[in-house]
Amino acid sequence: MVGAVCLTFSEFGFRASLLLVASWLASSFPANSVEPSSVSIRWHTNSNQPAVEVVGLNEETLRHLLNTNWQSEEWQKLLSVYAGQGDSMTMNVPAMIGSYRIQNDAIRFEPKFPWQRGLTYRAVYRAAGLSARIDKASGQIISKFSLPAAPYNPTTIVSQIYPSGDVLPENLLKFYVHFSAPMQGGHIYEHIHLRDEAGHSVELPFLELEEELWNAEMTRLTLFIDPGRIKRGVKPLEEVGPALEEGKRYTLEIDAAWLDNMGMPLRESFRKAFRVSAQDRDPPSLQTWKISAPKAGTRDALTVAFPEPMDQALALRLIRVASPSGRLVQGTSALAAHEQVWSFRPQEFWTVGAHQLQVQNTIEDLAGNNIGKVFEVDLFDNVQRRFTNAVIKLSFEVR
Amino acid sequence: MKMLRFSFVLFLAIFTHSTVRAETTDWFAGMREGKPELKSISQLAFGPAGILFVADTKAAAIIALDTSDTKSTSDTKPIKIEGINQKVAGLLGTSADQILINDLVVNPISRNAYLAISRGRGPDAVPVLARVKASSELEVVSLDKIRFSRGDLPDAPVDGVVGEGNRQSNPRQESITDIAFLEDRVLIAGLSSEEFASTLRAIPFPFKKVEHGTSVEIYHGAHGRFETRAPIRTFVPFNVGNQPSLLAAYTCTPLVQFPISELKPGAKIKGKTIAELGNRNRPLDMIVYQKDGKDYILMANSSRGIMKIDTDKIEKAESITEHVQGGGTRGQPYETIASWAGVDQLDKLDSQHALVIRHGDGLLLNLESLPLP
Repeated sequence: MVGAVCLTFSEFGFRASLLLVASWLASSFPANSVEPSSVSIRWHTNSNQPAVEVVGLNEETLRHLLNTNWQSEEWQKLLSVYAGQGDSMTMNVPAMIGSYRIQNDAIRFEPKFPWQRGLTYRAVYRAAGLSARIDKASGQIISKFSLPAAPYNPTTIVSQIYPSGDVLPENLLKFYVHFSAPMQGGHIYEHIHLRDEAGHSVELPFLELEEELWNAEMTRLTLFIDPGRIKRGVKPLEEVGPALEEGKRYTLEIDAAWLDNMGMPLRESFRKAFRVSAQDRDPPSLQTWKISAPKAGTRDALTVAFPEPMDQALALRLIRVASPSGRLVQGTSALAAHEQVWSFRPQEFWTVGAHQLQVQNTIEDLAGNNIGKVFEVDLFDNVQRRFTNAVIKLSFEVR
Repeated sequence: MKMLRFSFVLFLAIFTHSTVRAETTDWFAGMREGKPELKSISQLAFGPAGILFVADTKAAAIIALDTSDTKSTSDTKPIKIEGINQKVAGLLGTSADQILINDLVVNPISRNAYLAISRGRGPDAVPVLARVKASSELEVVSLDKIRFSRGDLPDAPVDGVVGEGNRQSNPRQESITDIAFLEDRVLIAGLSSEEFASTLRAIPFPFKKVEHGTSVEIYHGAHGRFETRAPIRTFVPFNVGNQPSLLAAYTCTPLVQFPISELKPGAKIKGKTIAELGNRNRPLDMIVYQKDGKDYILMANSSRGIMKIDTDKIEKAESITEHVQGGGTRGQPYETIASWAGVDQLDKLDSQHALVIRHGDGLLLNLESLPLP
């Protein structure tokens, strides 16, 4: 506690002198406080608990701050941390949000979100934000910290595009693009190209929705061909032609510039070349499916051969097997022969008896035809004949 | 005024019984204070009394938030924030390219704008709600302690199943493409990521829990000779005369007219095409506004810029039942507002202005108010 009273000054300038002397003494002979210049900024770069601390403050300052009832706005006047990258360092960017408190004799700021690689962070401590009574000598302190960008190491690739065959119908409805690791979304259509034989890009073939159609892990993307670009029966298309034309060859390219969730581009581009066959307006029918029944007492695969490739995701989700008792048989399904063969391996041994293949009629072939219903975005049908969801059952014997 | 063939904008007029609703609905019924655990934030829509509906696609739920933002204003100050994505990035300690602005809505009571933001673009992206006040001040809305209620969407419905959905053991994944509040329901347009199936459902608000989840009603865009499975891109409530209705922009439908019926479970929504948009059109956002005593639709779309569509005579508009052949045109007249290029998000700010987010230099997005054309 600094409290020297100098009796050498005349009463006239007494009070002023007192202040002058007191502050001189405070800055020159701090009793149990540290030198003002020892105030510094410390970064905690452990990503588990990111924090920035102002340390080296004197006791009075800390005590004063402990007693304030400041909201974020007031704390920010004292200590602000800014995130920037390149040009944005000079822009008028607001301070990062987070929590402030006094802890371990320091002002501690914990940002709401973890530090990000490749960014430069700038912490600014402004002692002018403190009231006049306390240590202001430290003025303004600026400290910077950067987490270097991760070393360039692209590893993610497109692992498969379904349908996997290389002959696709002119009224193909969709592609599923599978990645080997989680990807980043947003602006994805910049990286997806459908090119004709001459290498020209087909203009806007896909339905570009703001709500991109990813699975939860972002390892699978669904691309719908814009149904407005699919030739519909005999009705001609206006303006822009069809996306795919029978007899022609195309390449679907996923370019490597697409970033994965680690911020790395793909290791390489992926190209799927295919030829286009006639329109498929034949709805799938279970009568045409060939079931090869397994032997009882084994865990051999049950296989079903389709006359045409089916939609990969729906074939895996919408086909089940029921035992003679009616209970669903647990097991694993898989597709082979370019999604033309479905196989099912049970967990338990097959029992003897009449089993059932149960298929939801919303299953689709590559043109989006359902069981018993040709694909149409708009149906010019008598509305009485409504399509209702049903499970179609097909029996087979296990001997 | 240009007349053009449109095929996407479908006008669905839903005439409900205009029962005089006594203002006794407690919109906050069922809400509790706490932290709504949002998994994602895609679409926003305002309901009554400052209640903000948030579509959480990942959680398959609609969250109703009590923003307590009910102070009305007659302010008409212009709003401008340049590089709003850069500024949001600064607040959230990241770079502008890691910010996705998914939706923009204005609270009609307070004129404050709300943004649905994704911090990050991967599966671990964090949903954030931000707010821009009349002073062009940007802030993050804390959801740590707020009154809210939750309407879980039952599993995506299958054709022919009407009413409450059961938890299926193998449900299909759905994305929510747009939501809107109409009278006493939240309308939800959804799209599956596997089957080519789009849905339009409504859940009553305040949210009602029934045995198998939230009570839901399903509508089919169908009647007469026509049924559409096309996804709805964006829709907005709209009054035709005194009748509350819905204006919806689809991705692909030929010109048809739907007769009109009531909004009830399994109801077939009858619609009237008011404009046929070409194949390059991709509607993003739509608002309805009044100018000189007339109603207009302002539509932002990614390839044609902003279109101002006349709604004159929609009620009496001729039904278009077949494709217009050989380049002829029918439908509501419209004009393109060339000066409003690069718009990503659009909402009405007040009676004189719209609020937009549009592309600036490089990666920058700018938020600004523009006078309604």
